Amino acid sequence: MSDETASDLIQRVAQHDRAAFRALYALTAPKLAGVLTRMLKDRSEVEDAMQEVYVRIWQRAGQFSADRGSAMGWLVAVARNLALDRLRARPPQGARLAGEDPLALIPDPAVGVEARLAAAGQARRILGCLDEQEPDRAEALRGAYLVGLSYQDLAERHGIPLNTMRTWLRRGLQRLRECLER
Amino acid sequence: MSPADPPDDADDLLAAEYVLGVLDARARRDAARRAEVDGAFAARVRDWEARLSPLNAAYPEVALPDLLLRIEARLFPARPRRRWVWAAGGVLAAGLALAVVLWPQPVPQARLVAGELVVSVRLQAGLLDLRRSGPSAGEDRDYQLWAIGADGVPRSLGLLRGESLTVPTDLQPGVTLAISLEPLGGAPGALPTGPVLASAVLGPG
Repeated sequence: MSDETASDLIQRVAQHDRAAFRALYALTAPKLAGVLTRMLKDRSEVEDAMQEVYVRIWQRAGQFSADRGSAMGWLVAVARNLALDRLRARPPQGARLAGEDPLALIPDPAVGVEARLAAAGQARRILGCLDEQEPDRAEALRGAYLVGLSYQDLAERHGIPLNTMRTWLRRGLQRLRECLER
Repeated sequence: MSPADPPDDADDLLAAEYVLGVLDARARRDAARRAEVDGAFAARVRDWEARLSPLNAAYPEVALPDLLLRIEARLFPARPRRRWVWAAGGVLAAGLALAVVLWPQPVPQARLVAGELVVSVRLQAGLLDLRRSGPSAGEDRDYQLWAIGADGVPRSLGLLRGESLTVPTDLQPGVTLAISLEPLGGAPGALPTGPVLASAVLGPG
């Protein structure tokens, strides 16, 4: 998908162009459905969240600025933010009931992910930088970003205290930033 | 990023944690609210979104039923909901009757106070009437007024340069108004970049 097309469509949506909104939906719905499915998992919640995501896209299109970043990146951020808001609003015991095995909370953590990432040239740098981290730290960063795990989820999963996980991941983020800026 | 903002400070880590998504509900809400009104923090959030966005390639594409009609039904309800739309478009008699009904109602208003700067706001007949007293924004600055609706997104209502300003609006009571100090000409993008000086809810008079 051309990011320029999506960018152009978002800017027309900001002018309340309904035809552009339909075209943007057709172009981007499968990817945003992928984001929401990965994070929320429950199919009916995904469908409901999809509607809310596109309502937000219509309302906030004016905030997108093509010179500040990619169109697809902006759209994925809208979807991720909505999914994260919903995940954090869930009662913690609900999340635990969703899978008896804590690992089941994280579906297919690795299957296909690396292959898809490797296919995207721009992802190589961040992959390289994640590789520089200890493996469990890199996995925690990926799990947080892609699946929406909270500090609490990660601490439980790795069996370490919440504060240790926080310190650990903050250091990981600092190292990631240093690596990307080298 | 300017040298005054060392990249390793707490704000930058908070922005990273917010984008990564690891914060609990309350910390997340606080960070989101801050990104709405603090331009420097919003810029850090955008930087982190850009840094981590290559990971988006790992999200698969998933086919869902077409939801476009349902989305459009939510966005574009068939009938106008605002009373003043009827008044403007309706028969004169209906308009007069409505005016009689609406007249005695209190005028929604708000006062935004930051030290000596006081901005009084009144909403009447679809017009937002602003009056400022106190210091001007300064030579290379402007005051900018914002409305923050239920979706939490600030929308610019314009610059407040003189001592008064009247803008047509479809704002309803209950909306939050905020005033920020911006570079001359206002915030370059759609969101405030300068410090938010004051905010208040547009309430009943």
